Amino acid sequence: MSGYTEGIIILLCINAIAAMGVSLLTGFTGIFSLGHAGYMAVGAYTTAILTVEYGVHYVPAILLGGAMAMVVAYVIGVPTLKLMGDYYAIASIGLGEAIRLILENWQSVTRGARGYPGIEGYTTLYVTLAFFAVMAFGMFNLIHSRFGRAFKACRDDYIAASLLGFNTARYRVLSLVISAFYCGVAGALLGGFLSFIQPIMFDMIKSTELTSVVVFGGLGSMSGTLIGASVITLVTELFRPISQYRMLIYGAILVIIMVLRPEGIMGQYELGPRLFRRLKDKFSSQKREPGEGRSSS
Amino acid sequence: MTAIPQDTVLELENINKFFGGVHAVRDMSFNIRKGELAGLIGPNGAGKTTIFNLITGVYSPDNGYISFLGEDITNLKSFQVIRKGIARTFQNLRLFQRSSALENVMVAMQQHHRYSFLEGISHFGRWNRVEREVKQRSMDILDRVGLVERAHQAAGTLPYGMQRRLEIGRALALEPEFLLLDEPAAGMNPEEVFELNDLIQGIHEDFMLTILVIEHHMDVIMQICPHIICMNFGARIAEGDPDYIQGHPEVLKAYLGEEVEEE
Amino acid sequence: METLLQQTINGLSLGSVYALIAVGYSLVYSILLFSNFAHGGFLVIGGYICYFTLKSLGFNIWVAGLASLVGAGFSAVLTEKLAYKPIRERTNVTLYLLIASMGMSIVIENLFVIIAGGRFRALPAVIPTHPVHLFGVATTSAFDIISLLAAVVFLGALQLFLVKTKWGLAIRAAAYDLRIAGLMGVNVNLLISIVFFVAGLLAAVGGIFLSVRYTLYPQLGMITIKAFVAAVIGGLGSLPGAVVGSLILGLSEMLTAGFISSQLRDLVVFSLLIITLLVRPQGLFGKNISEKV
Repeated sequence: MSGYTEGIIILLCINAIAAMGVSLLTGFTGIFSLGHAGYMAVGAYTTAILTVEYGVHYVPAILLGGAMAMVVAYVIGVPTLKLMGDYYAIASIGLGEAIRLILENWQSVTRGARGYPGIEGYTTLYVTLAFFAVMAFGMFNLIHSRFGRAFKACRDDYIAASLLGFNTARYRVLSLVISAFYCGVAGALLGGFLSFIQPIMFDMIKSTELTSVVVFGGLGSMSGTLIGASVITLVTELFRPISQYRMLIYGAILVIIMVLRPEGIMGQYELGPRLFRRLKDKFSSQKREPGEGRSSS
Repeated sequence: MTAIPQDTVLELENINKFFGGVHAVRDMSFNIRKGELAGLIGPNGAGKTTIFNLITGVYSPDNGYISFLGEDITNLKSFQVIRKGIARTFQNLRLFQRSSALENVMVAMQQHHRYSFLEGISHFGRWNRVEREVKQRSMDILDRVGLVERAHQAAGTLPYGMQRRLEIGRALALEPEFLLLDEPAAGMNPEEVFELNDLIQGIHEDFMLTILVIEHHMDVIMQICPHIICMNFGARIAEGDPDYIQGHPEVLKAYLGEEVEEE
Repeated sequence: METLLQQTINGLSLGSVYALIAVGYSLVYSILLFSNFAHGGFLVIGGYICYFTLKSLGFNIWVAGLASLVGAGFSAVLTEKLAYKPIRERTNVTLYLLIASMGMSIVIENLFVIIAGGRFRALPAVIPTHPVHLFGVATTSAFDIISLLAAVVFLGALQLFLVKTKWGLAIRAAAYDLRIAGLMGVNVNLLISIVFFVAGLLAAVGGIFLSVRYTLYPQLGMITIKAFVAAVIGGLGSLPGAVVGSLILGLSEMLTAGFISSQLRDLVVFSLLIITLLVRPQGLFGKNISEKV
């Protein structure tokens, strides 16, 4: 396998890990966030500093990067998550930007806007695939558990959810904290891949990329998120020669999807035997009882 | 304080609620005893759903006291009240439309059948057994409310009467002590109402529930509720058994209006 | 003392420009109940139209200004018709509108990157910027005074429009309940177009002044984040709130830059946002919209 192909797969896995986190928060818990690149930055810088300054081995350093992102998310999440909808979206923009500004100005620790070089290249293909496999396993399991159902209840009708005994505030924070962990790990892996990180790499454009991956794949479908991440990563690479058009295309994709098919590629369905059964039923049986609609179970 | 019967499940005392300048609930007091099937009636806007919202923590009363099984629940948050053993349905239906009937019930059923977060992300330990239990018990509930064939159908696409029954099923899945039904018969035809009466009385007996029903359909209330409370303009205007209520002048005035003197 | 006065005037001037942007944004929010993240795009469109009309076509500032306001207004209407109308007709999920607006914001910004190039352009010096001495107490620039005046004029005109005209009344009614306004006979689609036109127009005024202050570049629209913050502080959906919030923001920024550090001014903006959201999320003048259960 050429180095170039390896690089693409690594980037794909990194994007997929971050996207899974955002998917849990936005697609499954209904919290629209535009500041998640901030958590990637926290993870990236924590791991960079731990490995470069303190010689910590990269595996615990990556995990600590994720953990640090979790802590930051918890601290700012608990007070702000009581905000709904647009309010939280705006707050998340502010929070993401604030994280970036702090990283840029805290020169003594982060070396400021010029970036942090010399990170060990620990992000190999195997390391990335290993992290991806474990984290994807955990995430898919999570959404197929009582927690997944709880998140979806909070998303679909938080009043009904609270009147079914769910502490919606607690579930929202849990969702945020898990998504921050995923983004933190992704950021840490990115640092080990590029051997260099800069605050500007984790700006609103990055956050929007993450959100568009999730929207494209389908809000409420984790397999859709993975498909979205693959497509967007590959398309980005293809468009690298005309990268000034890349952002234009991103923006256009977002608009077009929302206008034509807001549920994205997969809607709220997961790739799996149930979906194939559904599609088979849909295509084979022409006569159906009126009012029959099947849902994903 | 007057002597409260020992088997009181729910007690409201001098509850008041203002929305801006509107005195939506005035000095409401009543008790519901264990095992009762009680009815709460009154014209539109009388404050009946507000009472439900006050009990279940959606609103906080401006003054007054609510207790459930002897415990003060006046200012508890919704999820705390529900966890004490109260379940409710909604006037305007609040099903999870995109989820299947089965999933709607499972979401409620899982409250009492849990496993840890670690077991959730690994699917080890109790995950398998508990998930199967939740699914099985939820199917049993669907069977009870007559929706087994529609288990995998999206709740939002079910016929209206079935959605109402699904919501009752979902509330039952919380394994409550006390069930609040908000206009369960709204929009139903007489045949469906007949079946609903059966269902309510059935679950009342089988699950040994205490039930408080808000209803406009008099054929529901008068048939099945031996204890009726009538409200108007936020206050209680009459309380008693069906015969008493049917003959009460204030009740008649509230529903039919006062007679206008011919000039 | 002189610095204090100077920075106060600077702050009010900056705040008044923010106000033009925040008010347009709040106006859209009050009608459609969603945050139009593409609002910054209208600002940029206004700035570029003005620049090119001045530079390439050689017109004077009044023609350029008019072209830019009208152009931005129409772009706003176009954005609404292309991206938002199809969505709001099919569903009432505001999240989809939010994401679409994010997309439009990126599209507009990058269209200009491609068409006009990413470099910073200075507007021809048609708006005087010479220093003006105020009562011998402080020195400010003519630009600050002019931008303050322009903001007052436009916001005053908006107020008159809302209070004294038929459409203004319709807009105020729609801000309470769009659907009911429609049922009362208001042509909802036309109303929404008018609102977007006004929002775009106001954004363009702000855009022109901001391009003079900071030079013109495609990402100038990012500054609308500060206008969002101002609108939130004042109360989303409240127009007086947007003005007050903007002034507070402008003052805070300038006073921080003057007395503490220029680096920290953006951090102060976001801190104000967080504090508002934590302490009083509905903002100074916003109302608590609670859902009926």
